[in-house]
Amino acid sequence: MSLIKKKDMVAMLLAGGQGSRLGVLTKDVAKPAVPFGGKYRIIDFPLSNCINSDIDTIGVLTQYQPMELNAYIGNGQPWDLDRMYGGARILPPYVRGKEGEWYKGTANAIYQNIPFIEQYSPNYVIILSGDHIYKMNYRWMLDHHMKKDADCTIAVIEVPMEEANRFGVMRTNENLRITDFEEKPIKPKSNLASMGVYIFDWPTLKEYLIRDEEDPHSSKDFGKNIIPTMLADGKRLFAYKYLGYWKDVGTIESLWQANMDLLKENISLELYDPRWKIYARNGNLPPQYIGRHATMKDSHVSEGCSIEGTVENSIIFPKVTIKKGAVVKNSVVMSSTTIDENAHVNYSIIAEGVTVGDGAVIGENTNGTDAVLISVVADRVTVGSGSRVESGSVVDSNL
Amino acid sequence: MSYMGLIYSYSDRENLRELTSNRALAALSIGGKYRIIDFVLSNFVNSGIFEVSVIARTNYHSLIEHLGSGAEWDMSRKRGGLRVLTPFANKESTDSAQIYKGSIDALANHLHSIKKSMAEYVVLTGSRILYTMDYRDMIKAHLNSGADITIAYTNQMNGTQRIPQGSPMVYLDEQKRVQSVEILDEEQSDREGSWCIDVCVIRKTLLESLIADATSHQRYDLYNDILKRLAPTLKIFGYEYCGHLLEISTISTYMEANRAMLDPEFASKVFQETVYTKVKDSVPALYGSDCYVENSMISDGCQILGTVINSVVSRGVHIDKGAVVKDSIIMQDTEIMDHAKVEHAILDKDVIVRDGREVIGHPSYPIVLPKMSIV
Repeated sequence: MSLIKKKDMVAMLLAGGQGSRLGVLTKDVAKPAVPFGGKYRIIDFPLSNCINSDIDTIGVLTQYQPMELNAYIGNGQPWDLDRMYGGARILPPYVRGKEGEWYKGTANAIYQNIPFIEQYSPNYVIILSGDHIYKMNYRWMLDHHMKKDADCTIAVIEVPMEEANRFGVMRTNENLRITDFEEKPIKPKSNLASMGVYIFDWPTLKEYLIRDEEDPHSSKDFGKNIIPTMLADGKRLFAYKYLGYWKDVGTIESLWQANMDLLKENISLELYDPRWKIYARNGNLPPQYIGRHATMKDSHVSEGCSIEGTVENSIIFPKVTIKKGAVVKNSVVMSSTTIDENAHVNYSIIAEGVTVGDGAVIGENTNGTDAVLISVVADRVTVGSGSRVESGSVVDSNL
Repeated sequence: MSYMGLIYSYSDRENLRELTSNRALAALSIGGKYRIIDFVLSNFVNSGIFEVSVIARTNYHSLIEHLGSGAEWDMSRKRGGLRVLTPFANKESTDSAQIYKGSIDALANHLHSIKKSMAEYVVLTGSRILYTMDYRDMIKAHLNSGADITIAYTNQMNGTQRIPQGSPMVYLDEQKRVQSVEILDEEQSDREGSWCIDVCVIRKTLLESLIADATSHQRYDLYNDILKRLAPTLKIFGYEYCGHLLEISTISTYMEANRAMLDPEFASKVFQETVYTKVKDSVPALYGSDCYVENSMISDGCQILGTVINSVVSRGVHIDKGAVVKDSIIMQDTEIMDHAKVEHAILDKDVIVRDGREVIGHPSYPIVLPKMSIV
């Protein structure tokens, strides 16, 4: 009896990105491990999407700062991915022969793990990234892929034209067949952006990965090499239009905005849907305590918090202490941070384990302008009593 | 040296009205997101004891559902792990009092399972008293004293007002050897003797022979028939527990216990060691635009749009706009709709209080709404 059972679709989750535009927030962790929405990390979204879509075999490709991510994923149990056959597997780059080899690009990362995928002899492989906040049923996308008899299907979303240059942009005919594709074009011809979610027929993808690897001039990237080559060869590439909530949280502003979106009514990222829970590793903390002097308004607050001050329009992560007289508004406060008495925090992202001293003021002077400037305090930093942090500044050492 | 835990998930000496009519005492919600069993099991986990059997008697459905495989307490193990010992259904009577004839009979019923364990020592505990203890310290004291049985007692009333009726009291000599054991006939607030907190350490082989011996003489109660009877012959030693204590056997002590956790200082003692419970994957609590919350414990998955004062709120509770909840305990997934009013009440799971309804009890006699009731 074979130890491995055949799987119709295997997911490969690219989680090695640094997310350099998140600055101090990704100094010690890979971008997919960045905390989001009170108790989650970005990677909880694609992982939960997988399990909710009945995909139980996921290779998680790590490279940059993998320690925290590896510990977080563990045996995959929080996402129901501790399986006898399949489940979540961490796939770091490894040494072959005499030399070690990093993942040189997204396509190369998958190329190096061909043996992992081959174990399950899948018909399809879905490529995901750990950079986005969204809920998506990948099965529906697979149905679309099969109906179109496609070699590759790319999930797309319409973005504002002025932002299209940050994405892989494509044009399609009326049947949604992709006619041309450009990765991060200077002058985008369309606003149909790739969400970085691809379904491939595995035998076809495997052939292209091997060919691409042999090309010394290739940058070994899906958007820059694999997709354009397949198009040039006349392969059947189709777009799959996604209409729900999707946010690329690659920058401080977009990370802040995506957190704030959770507080808006009627956004389509419905976290309460019992059929589509977003799972996360649990911290075993007691319920939050709201004290005698607290004022709570339009906020999400997590377990283990103790709130005596004012919290308004904010996302508060576990084990945060907000003392009497402190005011936190329009902000994201990550785990184990303490906001001391009478401190004011506005329009900020405060990372984990920060202490904001008595009466300190962070990001208060945003008034008057439309453009919101987000202040960031890096993890384990102490902002001393009475200090002032200007809007839009980044604090990465003790003040 | 290896140890196993045995937990009684029920108590003969409790009167929690509707709260325990359909569930084991150990499965009763407390402290917002927890069940009583979480505190007991976490004591074992935090003491490095990963072999625990939970003795079930009646209505253990919710207990079993809560515990699952034990994975959330890190007790899904090949060596040891968590086991729920359910009664065999071959008894003549289905009356709960008849399923086991007493605490020894309960053990006798599961002797087969107890004997199979490789553990050398047993830590035996109930579910009526919440405490935080590292059993390793108690076991160490047991080994050092050379006792046959060690029972934990307390001389302080940390967190509890009265010693309830039916509590076992021990009288010790200077060496802490138990001279006599007595069961209180009536509630007591000034102590005389020391209050047993329902924890014993005993060598497993000795326990097995004591069970066999007692049963053959139709003696079925652990405190009366073993501890009290054999105090003069066996070496039974006391082990003093000085930490906090919450006793849950009546509606009023249940209210008191929940309320005690609202005191941040007391809560910091209760939660000093990790308390594990079943994971629900709910969203962090949401507070609406017009909510008012004061001195309350709120759990994940709650949506608080109204007013909550001096209350303990479990997971997934909705408190709608204009609703007021005061001095109450609200269990899982209950919904309190617009402008409803709840005071001095205990609302069990999945209760709905419709728009504008009032559920108002008295501080001395809180209203209890059973599971799934609709007002």
